Amino acid sequence: MSFTRRGLFATIAAGAVASQIARAADEPVAIPGKRPMILHNDRPEDLETPVRYFDSWVTPVDAFFVRQHLPRPSKIDPAAYRLTVNGMVAKPLELTLADLQKLPQYTVSATIECTGNGRGFYVPKVPGIQWMRGAIGNAEWRGPRVSDVLKMAGVNSSAAFIDTDGADTGVAATPDFVRSLPMNKALHPATILALSMNGQTPDIHGFPVRLIVPGWDGTSSVKWVVRISATAQANTGFFMNPGYRYPKYALPPGTPAKPAELEVIEGMPVKSSITAPEDRQKIALGPATVRGFAWAGENAIERVEVSTDGGSRWRDAQLSPRKLPFAWRLWSLEWTPADPGYYTLMSRATDTAGRVQPIVSPWNPSGYLWNAIDRVGVTVEKTA
Amino acid sequence: MKIAILMGAAALWATAADQATLDRGRKEAGLACTPCHSLRLVESQRLSRATWNKELDKMSGWGSKIGDRGALVDFLVANYGDDKPPSPPAMSKNGVPPRKQQ
Repeated sequence: MSFTRRGLFATIAAGAVASQIARAADEPVAIPGKRPMILHNDRPEDLETPVRYFDSWVTPVDAFFVRQHLPRPSKIDPAAYRLTVNGMVAKPLELTLADLQKLPQYTVSATIECTGNGRGFYVPKVPGIQWMRGAIGNAEWRGPRVSDVLKMAGVNSSAAFIDTDGADTGVAATPDFVRSLPMNKALHPATILALSMNGQTPDIHGFPVRLIVPGWDGTSSVKWVVRISATAQANTGFFMNPGYRYPKYALPPGTPAKPAELEVIEGMPVKSSITAPEDRQKIALGPATVRGFAWAGENAIERVEVSTDGGSRWRDAQLSPRKLPFAWRLWSLEWTPADPGYYTLMSRATDTAGRVQPIVSPWNPSGYLWNAIDRVGVTVEKTA
Repeated sequence: MKIAILMGAAALWATAADQATLDRGRKEAGLACTPCHSLRLVESQRLSRATWNKELDKMSGWGSKIGDRGALVDFLVANYGDDKPPSPPAMSKNGVPPRKQQ
């Protein structure tokens, strides 16, 4: 589209416009369908879940985080929806929503985490949304397998990737949001085109059709999918390169990336976060429960340990029962502090592959994959 | 003593952007950034001058028409520099409609 903002505003006093916009930015806004959320950006919507909402294994839609790169496309009419399947296929397809509904449907419980969740913890600061703990959620996604759709189209066996394009388009000259996925992950039985999330079809989360790539960074799970193309080469658009890449070799904090040494992020690391008590909270002397979540990308969580003394002694937390790849486990530990005072609580997760959360999450120029051992400071006060 | 204070004030005057420039920079932020996103995205960053410049290069490449770039950078560094404390998180209002009375 053409960019005519200067022309548009030419008749208006520029100063007045700027101050109106500045004021509007500070006014509280409601995001339809969402509880009060941490508001990083309202246009487009970038919403973080406050940790106090993380009290259920399935994160409700009204509390689920939102990350939009581009403005949300206009709401897709389910009757008019078409999915184009093309590229290296014997039989290019134009599928309706009904066609997708007729394929075998699978439910996948999967945690989705923004690649940059925890960016706000990195020092020195890096540009990007300053997410803390809450750009993550766990949902039940349901729809047909990508592999069934590709089979229907007769995908060429030498195709190595699929390109997935969403209905969202760039403003001005911002690049279109297209992601490519290696064929072996696309054909994985848990990789689906979700037609629902917790039984609902929220537009803000990419419905009527959203790609779900379990265990991988959230950016892989493209919203409002309108085209899947089988290709020989990976897409080279901004959101594949340099976007969403991570240094192959760790960099000294604050130094620039070496473009030739950036790699596509795939599976997510092992991670736990503390959701209660909250950082800087004051609690009354007496029995308390330390709670949180842990997940490990394509692996399951094996163990979560908690320290209430700054990491000197560790105790095993109790884990929620479902031990699944792709999905988080909630954990809790009963804790009765002996004395009032300030306590540093920490959590450390281990996954089924033996990966353990590090003390230090490697700094990287885009602030991705924060997974350091979590810590919160809590003041225990004597009750009157 | 008095001379030292005067010299210090003069040094500050020489390095800090003057108010008129900051005002122009604020206006420019409203014009250059908001066609694509809200200013919240800008206000939550804490970046060095060099990193702000890199961000503006990226945004120019994406079609942002930045008129008064010098003033914009001064405004961004003065308000959202990496030496500033992070801003407290903003919360959205409740957007879940109350359940209809049965």
